[in-house]
Amino acid sequence: MSQTFIDPDAGKSTEQLFAERSKRIMDAFQMKQPDRIPIMLGLGYLLADMGGVTRQELYENPAKSLEIQKKIALDFQPDTLFGLFSYPGASIALGDQMTKWPGHGLGPNGSFQFAEQEFMKPEDYDAFLDDTADWAIRTYLPRAFSTLKGFSALPPFQMLAFGHYYLTNLPAFAAPPIVEGLKAISKGIQATLEVNAGVMETIKAMAEIGFPFPAILTGALVEAPFDFMSDTLRGMRGIMVDIHRRPEKLLAAQEKVLRFELEFAVNLSKATGSPYAFLPLHRGSDGFMSLPQFEKFYWPQLKSLMVQLVDNGITPWCFYEGVWDQRLEYLAELPKGKTGGLFQSSDIFKVGEVLGDTMFIMGGMPNSLLQGGTVEQVRERTKQVCEKLGKGGGFVMTTGVLELEGSDPKLIKAWVDATKEFGVY
Amino acid sequence: MSEKLIKAIAEMDDEQAITLTKELLSQGSDPMEILGDCRSAMEIVGKRFEEGEYFISELILAGETLTAISGLVKPLLKTSQAEKKGGKVIIGTVKGDIHDIAKDIVTFMLDVNGFEVKDLGVDVAPEIFVETIKTDQPEIVALSGFLTLAHTSMKETVDAIKTAGLREKVKIMIGGGTIDAQVCNFAKADGWGTDAMTAVSLAKQWTGAN
Repeated sequence: MSQTFIDPDAGKSTEQLFAERSKRIMDAFQMKQPDRIPIMLGLGYLLADMGGVTRQELYENPAKSLEIQKKIALDFQPDTLFGLFSYPGASIALGDQMTKWPGHGLGPNGSFQFAEQEFMKPEDYDAFLDDTADWAIRTYLPRAFSTLKGFSALPPFQMLAFGHYYLTNLPAFAAPPIVEGLKAISKGIQATLEVNAGVMETIKAMAEIGFPFPAILTGALVEAPFDFMSDTLRGMRGIMVDIHRRPEKLLAAQEKVLRFELEFAVNLSKATGSPYAFLPLHRGSDGFMSLPQFEKFYWPQLKSLMVQLVDNGITPWCFYEGVWDQRLEYLAELPKGKTGGLFQSSDIFKVGEVLGDTMFIMGGMPNSLLQGGTVEQVRERTKQVCEKLGKGGGFVMTTGVLELEGSDPKLIKAWVDATKEFGVY
Repeated sequence: MSEKLIKAIAEMDDEQAITLTKELLSQGSDPMEILGDCRSAMEIVGKRFEEGEYFISELILAGETLTAISGLVKPLLKTSQAEKKGGKVIIGTVKGDIHDIAKDIVTFMLDVNGFEVKDLGVDVAPEIFVETIKTDQPEIVALSGFLTLAHTSMKETVDAIKTAGLREKVKIMIGGGTIDAQVCNFAKADGWGTDAMTAVSLAKQWTGAN
C-alpha cells in the first residue's frame, strides 16, 4: 500500500467538498467525464458491524444509525453513501408474509430476506386479468398480509365504489377483522411516513458534513414485468411452470403490469421531480431461463418499460443481479445514454466494453474481496477497474451489491483511497 | 420400460406423462419399473441442463411431474428404491440464509448423477451439519448460500466441523451466486462453484465416482 497517499480532498471546506462530490456523481450519472471516478458506498449492515449494535437496533434507532453513518462517512471519505436500503416498519405492521427482518422472523443479527410464496395460484390468472384491483383487494391481500385476512369477506369492490345506491354496503367495513385490517394499514402508513421523515433528516445531516445523497435512489421502484409477476405473486417455482403451461396468460398479465408500473413511475416522477426509476432485476440473469425464453418472456417487456420511462424523461437504472454475461448484447439495444446499470457478478470489464457507450455503469469491486482479500489485492483490482472502466466517464465505483456487511474496514479504506488515486482523469 | 413415458417427462409434456403413468398402472405394470423410467427421464433432463438446453423452468416442471408420478406409484411399492452408488452428500443452505433455489438444483443434479443426497433445508446451523456428519457419515458436505452474510456462516460451519474433529472425514464444497475463490479461501472449504455442474464434477472427483 502506498503509505504516502494524501487524500486530494484533505483540507477542503465541507461546502466545497459537497459541491465537488455532487458534481462528480451527477457527471457520472449523466455519462459525462468528471474530474475523477466517484465512489459510492451502500453501507447496509456494515452500520451494525462498525457501530457495535445489532441489526435490529439499526432499524429501531434511526438516531444511532445516523450517528454511525456520519462516523463511517468521515472515516472513509467516499463521494456519496447511504445506509439501509429498506425498512421493516410497514411489513411488520401489516404482517407481510413475504419478508423476514432482524428481530422479526430472524435473530437480531439476521439479514433482511425475501421468502417468496405462491400468493397467486395458477387458477387466479383469469381473475387477475379480468379485474386486477378487485382480485388484489379480496384475494391477494388476505393471503399476503396476516392482518388483512378479513378482506376476503368484502363484497366485489364495484359494489362499494359506484355511488349512492351502494353506500348501504359500507357496513361491510364494520366487521371486526376488517376494522383490524384497516387499523394495520393505518399503522403501516404511519411507519412509512416515519421512515421517510428519517431518511430526509439523514440526507440533510449528511449534506451538512459534506456528503450528498445518491440522487438515483430518490425515484420510483418498479420491476421488470416478469419479476413483478414472479417475486410477489407467483413465486419463482410457479412462474417457471407458467412458462410451459400457460405462456399466453403470463404474457397477458405482464402487459397489464407494464401499464400500471409505467403510470405509477411517471406520476411519481412528476410529483417528486425525481428523474430516476430503479429496477432491481431478479430472474432475467444467466441461468434462470434460456435465451429463447428470455426473448419471449423477459426482455421485450423490460425493454418496453425502460424505453417508455425514457420517453417520459425518466432515467431508469437496473440492478443486474447475478451474471448477465450472455445477455449484454440485448442491453446494448437500450437508448444510448439514458439508462444505468449496477452489475453484481457479471464480468465488469466485458460490461464496460459492450455497454460503456450505452449506460452509466456501477460496480467493479466484488464484496468478497473486501471481506477476505488483502490491501494489495484490493488496490490492484481498483487500479484495473479504474483504468478499464473509467475511460470517458459514466462510471461509478461501487461493490457488486450496495451492501458492505462483513467487510474489513481497513480494506474499504484502501479501496476508497485507491479509487481517488487511480481514478483521476 | 416405457419409452413414451420417458419421452413425455423429458420433453416437458407433464399431462401426457401422468396419463401414461395411470395407464401403465391400470395395465398392471411394475411400479418399480415406472420409477426406473422416471430416473431415465431425469437423467436426460439433467444432461440437457448441463448442456445448456434446459434451464430452471424445465428442472422445476420435471420435478413437479416426478412428484405427481411418485404420488401415484409409491403407495403401490413394496420395497424401497434401489440404493445409490455415487457416495453420500449432505447439503444445506447455511445459517441466516433462506435461499433454496440453488441448493435444490444442486440436490437434483447430484441425485440424478447417482449420489445419495440428504437435504437439511435452509438456515441450517453449524451444529446441525456437525450432528448430521456424525450420524450419516457422508463423504461430502455441500454448503449453499446467496447472501453476503452466508460467507461468514460458511466459515463458521467449516470451523465448527473442524472443532468437532470431523474436518478430515469430509470434503466440503461451497456454492452460490456470490461465491468465488476468495470466499472459498476465507471459509476454508475444499472447493467452490457457482453452478450445479461444478458441484457434480467436484463430487465425482472427490469420490472417484463416474
